[in-house]
Amino acid sequence: MNVPQIVRGRWLCPLGEMPYNILVTMYSNPHNNTQTFEPTWPANPAINEEMLFLSQLIGQPILDKQNEKIASIKDVIVRIGTQTYPPMSGLVARASGRDFFIPISQIQSLDERGAKLATYSVNLQPFARRDGEVLLGKDVLDKQLVDLNGRRVIRVNDLQLARADGEYFLAGVDVGAQALLRRLAPIALFIKMPGHQIIDWADVEYFASDAPAVRLKVSHDRLAKLHPVELARIVESLPYAQGTEIVESLDDQTVADALEEMTEARQADFLEAMEGDRAADVLEKMAPDEAADLIGALPEDKAEQILELMEAEESAEVKQLLSYPEDDAGGVMTTEFVAVPQQFTAQETIDYIRAMEPKPDLIYYVYALESRDDNRLVGVTSLLDVILAPPKTRIADIMNREPLTAKPDESDEDIARTIAEYNLLALPIVDEANHILGIVTVDDALDIVLPESWRQRLPKIFS
Amino acid sequence: MTLKEQIPAGAKKIAGLRPTRHRILVYLTIMGPGLIAANAGNDAGGIATYSSAGASYGYSLLWMLVLITFSLIVVQEMCARMGAATGQGLSDLIRENFGIRWTVLVMLCLFIANTGTIASEFVGIAASLELFGISKYLSVPIVALILWSLIVQGSYKLVERIFLAMSLVFLGYIGSAFLAGPNWGEALRQTVVPSFSFDSGYLTMFIATVGTTITPYMQLYIQSSVAEKGVTMRDYPYERADVIMGSIFSNTIAFFIVVCTAATLFVAGIHVNTAADAAKGLEPLAGPYAETLFAIGLFGASMLAAGVLPLATAYSLTEALGFEKGVSRSFEEAPVFMSIFTALIIFGAAVSLIPGLPLIQALIVVQVLNGVLLPVILVSILKIVNNQEVMGEHVNGPLQNVIAWATTIAVSGLSILLVVSNFAPGLMGT
Repeated sequence: MNVPQIVRGRWLCPLGEMPYNILVTMYSNPHNNTQTFEPTWPANPAINEEMLFLSQLIGQPILDKQNEKIASIKDVIVRIGTQTYPPMSGLVARASGRDFFIPISQIQSLDERGAKLATYSVNLQPFARRDGEVLLGKDVLDKQLVDLNGRRVIRVNDLQLARADGEYFLAGVDVGAQALLRRLAPIALFIKMPGHQIIDWADVEYFASDAPAVRLKVSHDRLAKLHPVELARIVESLPYAQGTEIVESLDDQTVADALEEMTEARQADFLEAMEGDRAADVLEKMAPDEAADLIGALPEDKAEQILELMEAEESAEVKQLLSYPEDDAGGVMTTEFVAVPQQFTAQETIDYIRAMEPKPDLIYYVYALESRDDNRLVGVTSLLDVILAPPKTRIADIMNREPLTAKPDESDEDIARTIAEYNLLALPIVDEANHILGIVTVDDALDIVLPESWRQRLPKIFS
Repeated sequence: MTLKEQIPAGAKKIAGLRPTRHRILVYLTIMGPGLIAANAGNDAGGIATYSSAGASYGYSLLWMLVLITFSLIVVQEMCARMGAATGQGLSDLIRENFGIRWTVLVMLCLFIANTGTIASEFVGIAASLELFGISKYLSVPIVALILWSLIVQGSYKLVERIFLAMSLVFLGYIGSAFLAGPNWGEALRQTVVPSFSFDSGYLTMFIATVGTTITPYMQLYIQSSVAEKGVTMRDYPYERADVIMGSIFSNTIAFFIVVCTAATLFVAGIHVNTAADAAKGLEPLAGPYAETLFAIGLFGASMLAAGVLPLATAYSLTEALGFEKGVSRSFEEAPVFMSIFTALIIFGAAVSLIPGLPLIQALIVVQVLNGVLLPVILVSILKIVNNQEVMGEHVNGPLQNVIAWATTIAVSGLSILLVVSNFAPGLMGT
């Protein structure tokens, strides 16, 4: 246990109390690129004293070279978007009721006692917002951000600045309750109140919509790496502006996956807010059954517009699914499944699946059809059996000739019950003439039978 | 806008496909929060206050009940609009726009007001069950425990409708008012012609009525509910209709409670001191069953609020202060949340068990507290709702600002008057 403590004291103070595993990673390889901390680490224990918090700076005096107070610190400006740790570009100074800009180049020192200027004569430029720059106090403090490691939405209670190579950087977010107390308490008590709960800025997702006054380039690519369920929960719990910002910035597939995990009302909101083309692209990436449900929840004119913009094949599938009532088998089934003529050999079947585009999310069964031109369902076999069979075996020889089926007008609950009773992973839906229309998969069946309250953990109190 | 215009005529089909559920779905999911939030004004404290107002001051407060309906509509509408424009709760917006000190002040006010209101709901529960002859020392701990476990297990929603149905008993006041044979001419005159008095008892009742009609927690509730349901500005017209109808509905009931008690208790010179006194307002309608009916309604209304309030308060506090703001957390993973929530229920139950507590007066005191703290919340709401960076094009119009600021200034003025009249009665010349 000694090692990480030394590390914490000597090397890593600017980042505060970071998770143990990161400390160890950084210690064992201080120049490790995965830690993307661009400034090189000065191996100087004195850095300990240069750890600064935004709440300590705001309101402190700005002194000129003769130690005369000329203004006080109103806010801290950092440049966001280019570097992992946003560099400080200056201060907003307040004097005689007006705001001025002091560039970082004119500042000689900065600590909890205030700022000291490097020059005798200071050129006080009136402050104006510039693109790419955010004010830590106005645009970041007290806002909600996303902690990528913890996969949660956090509230900024304080911000940590670190000094490296003579420059100041935004290093971390303090989300601890003590940070709040410090901001409330008088200055004298302030210093003595320990306790930080710091999240490394490298793990934090900032939103351009938090600073509506300026244009920022903020990429949200890292959010795409989260599990769709987590991404959906985060988007749903953020304010509308930030949620929309995420949805607009991510690629179609990621958005489609995340949308599938949201409530229908939120899905519809996001889709309605999108341009028609984008909405059509996103819907094409969604499972057809989910897409159909979503289109059914849109206003008519928007739904028609999107259906027209979608690729012919996808929109035909969705239209077909839309022709069934929502709570019937037809309404919950998907049209993505593997079906081959019974004359196919095992090898032909495997080749066919390899070539399929897009591939179904879940392939467990291979359905056998009467022939190439006649898609009446005549049997079913598992993908495992197809793989294990000698390549030249015909599907007809390994299939079960009496597959369980259901009609599209059967209730979704009956379907779910059948799936549970017979331990199926999917149940094919056929029309009167036994033509296969789609399948209901076990995950959709779970959604049907599980009570709504099981799916959301924290009880919703207001709705 | 009539109801017919809001629901599209029949559900049309997309090119002969599945009927679009959209508009109806939206309407059904959106309808409700405005109604529930406004109706929360008719909880234990509300019933006690309106009954006392009618019993002690006859029809003389009716005029302000009409005026305050407009205030209620405007205030609730602003909060619903903030929720729909931003997707955030009121405490979130206060934190993001006012910094930590003001946030803590507002949260402190809210916490005090809500804690008082929670206690008042338990007082209502105790009072209603005592009308059935059940000792409060038995009923309150049991009810508190049941309520706590229902909420923690997430099954509160299932019983919520039962409580809601029980509280509909108060619709009986409308019938009772007509059967009581009030002096309608006098009632109408007092509804239109304002009167006022600097008497401290009158001022107290005046503020209590404001406080119970526009309770701070109703603003929290409506906004969080709109945001949590994901109502956006596209669907907002439905939400606004809901807010307006809900406010009118709840204040209509309040109006008839005052008329009822004015026609029965005021003329007989009875002041409301116990729940049994208050129940007499229902006698013209229910005769010997008035107490039972009143007890059922009071129990339902109190349980409804006692369930939601501790949760809503804990949510607001933890959200505003940034504790445990997580999306997929269970109760066990949120100790601060859980502690606040549990402590509020225990505290509320304990207050209602204080021996010899004058129930009706205690209920009214809490409403006065709500009224006095209201300006702090209203100023916060007004500053945010007029901030273009937050609301974009959905900032207040001039009429909304006039009504809302007039309400804020009037309530602030009254609060000061009340304090002065209590501590320096000589100044008022009474």
